[in-house]
Amino acid sequence: MGKIQNQIFSSYQRNPILYDEIFDKQGTIKEVYSRLFELYGGHTIKEYVKLNEKAKSSFFNQGITFQVYNEKETMEKIFPFDLFPRIIDQEEWDIIERGAVQRSRALNLFLWDIYHDKKIIKQGIVPLELISSSENYLDQMVGLDPPGGIYNHISGTDIIKHNDGKYYVLEDNIRCPSGVSYVICNRTALKRALFGVFNHYKTHAVTNYAENLLDLLETVKPQGVDLPNVVVLTPGMYNSAFYEHSYLAKTMGVELVEGRDLFVENDFVYMRTIRGPEKVDIIYRRVDDGFIDPLEFRADSALGVPGLFAAYKKGNVTLANAPGTGVADDKAIYTYMPEIIKYYLDEEPILNNVHTYHCSRPDELQYVLEHIPELVIKPVDEAGGYGISIGNRLSKSEIEEVKSQLKSSPRKYVAQPIMSLSVHPTYIDETESFEQRHVDLRTFTVLGQDRDFVLKGGLTRVALKRGNLIVNSSQGGGSKDTWVLKK
Amino acid sequence: MIIPEENESQDFVKVDFSTSVKTIIEYSENGYGFRTIRVKSKEPFDKISFEARIRLVKKAADPFKSINLIEDPAISYSEIQTLLFRIEHDSFLRTTDLTFLPSKYATLFTFDKEKSIFENLQALNQFIFNYVSFKPNMTDVNSTVAEFIEKKQGVCQDMVHLFCALARHNGIPTRYVSGFLHQGNGYFGDSQMHAWSEAFIPNAGWIAFDPTNNILANNDHIKVAHGKDYSDCAPLKGVINGPGTNKTQYTVQVESQQQ
Repeated sequence: MGKIQNQIFSSYQRNPILYDEIFDKQGTIKEVYSRLFELYGGHTIKEYVKLNEKAKSSFFNQGITFQVYNEKETMEKIFPFDLFPRIIDQEEWDIIERGAVQRSRALNLFLWDIYHDKKIIKQGIVPLELISSSENYLDQMVGLDPPGGIYNHISGTDIIKHNDGKYYVLEDNIRCPSGVSYVICNRTALKRALFGVFNHYKTHAVTNYAENLLDLLETVKPQGVDLPNVVVLTPGMYNSAFYEHSYLAKTMGVELVEGRDLFVENDFVYMRTIRGPEKVDIIYRRVDDGFIDPLEFRADSALGVPGLFAAYKKGNVTLANAPGTGVADDKAIYTYMPEIIKYYLDEEPILNNVHTYHCSRPDELQYVLEHIPELVIKPVDEAGGYGISIGNRLSKSEIEEVKSQLKSSPRKYVAQPIMSLSVHPTYIDETESFEQRHVDLRTFTVLGQDRDFVLKGGLTRVALKRGNLIVNSSQGGGSKDTWVLKK
Repeated sequence: MIIPEENESQDFVKVDFSTSVKTIIEYSENGYGFRTIRVKSKEPFDKISFEARIRLVKKAADPFKSINLIEDPAISYSEIQTLLFRIEHDSFLRTTDLTFLPSKYATLFTFDKEKSIFENLQALNQFIFNYVSFKPNMTDVNSTVAEFIEKKQGVCQDMVHLFCALARHNGIPTRYVSGFLHQGNGYFGDSQMHAWSEAFIPNAGWIAFDPTNNILANNDHIKVAHGKDYSDCAPLKGVINGPGTNKTQYTVQVESQQQ
């Protein structure tokens, strides 16, 4: 454990096993952080706390809250925010950006294929069972060409840095990924509290997300439409991400609508306004597939628009993301991402996938049986973390038990190396000091017909509980402003 | 509402549709490609009614089809196991909530691999007809195959779900068909709305089996639509916005005219 000589970092404990984002192995501040380290070091902890509180209150004042349901009553909470930003230099960012676009493009081609010729399955690269066992595969989408050929207009890619210093993708979120509004609000909060620090770094702006999103959505407008009318469709104010829906509509300068504000007539979609019906051409929908049209999907949905799918099928409206896109963000598909990238793009993956051993393959099973303490063993078909065994936490008898399960039903399991998320100094209320906390990064990629856009920034989520690897906001995670430096 | 499909055994002639509310009548297509009529009231209402009069011409099924039913079992069974066949027919080989067959019932009906697929499906049709009895109000539209097997009583919908479950379990692509049955020949039908199934036999195509009546579907069967199970092809669907309760009633009449 090394000590660092700096006022606010005086009690910072560095665990040498973990990859620290700001200090190298010897405990020296990394060059890219050194100026920031000096600037923050000029404050006392007390001053820092005061500034942090000020920043937090700006979230409340802006109404940037999310709802927590599981407690005695519904509460408005803010996503805990930490003033100490994360910096990604341009060299590293370049890899992330190219990698995120590569994955989004490959997934888009994959979706086109599995809803058309299914070549990747016919050639035996991805097993048929992955598609046919997925609840997110929509038969209604078979043979249907989405406007501009785009399925996953918006992707949220969850990336971590492992203790080998390399970036790995944990998940591709291509249903309705959320969090982008926090990226922008974190920047605003930091600027309000400590605008001076921005004078010392050339940081990419993040406020251009909405204009780029609108721009790219307009490239996939329905045929024959000149000036498309775009709306954001929200499930309503009780949805935990409602703030984001309203934020995106406001910053794109388009209407925010609920299902009941729209109707379908002769397979065109209209919005009710005080001036009468207004045709809608592009819907950025934040309502899940099952709920978008009660005549086609879940009949009990009060959030959707009857007839919407028929209008979509006719090509009269664009839905972003396209229905049925969720099939490609299943966990099982993830394990085939390197193959999917090679198959469609004839490229090597730029970002690493966490290597997955398929126990159904005898040689891989043999490796897994010999290396259980270094691996996480996961059932293929269970969701929500059930039945997961973490190799280094198992006793000898438990290891034997896992081995016999693997031998008796190898098809049911996959194994992955245990990943160690990098850590970043984070101010912790309880100890009133900076401590190492695990972080991840969600990036946001937008695909248009022949252009794409990656937000130069992202949501760095922090696991606030010591040793915890789960960074979700519902699990008590926080976030940091994330700076991408200019060249 | 879904309009009956046009196929090799039925030609659609015309539909007259009327409703009690002032609105436009929209002709469209649902996600599975079946033609639909859609109406929505622009004003609040206490009561809404619809009437659809559909005329179509039924033709005798392709006489050559029966020739193709003479199959070599060994060739047929190996074909249905190929990857290309399973990809092609994936939708109708998949299990759904309504056609889920619990493993303890997997051997309820087993195929005799010495016999052709067609003969086995005929035997399955007869097996279901004998194994369960037709009795309304024992089940509802959400009843599962497992509940039906336990009760052994139900309606055409349950029998078709059981047929689909057992045929798919044996690798035969099978679809649920919703439609209308021309009464009067002593057939069972669920208060005139009816359901049967279609199974895909290599080299022969889709063959329609009616397990409720232990027959192959014929000129009395007017097909509306097909899907993986009932929920894909309910002929009528509606959405009501508003508080309180509501009641729905419908009747179907099928009349034949010689031409």
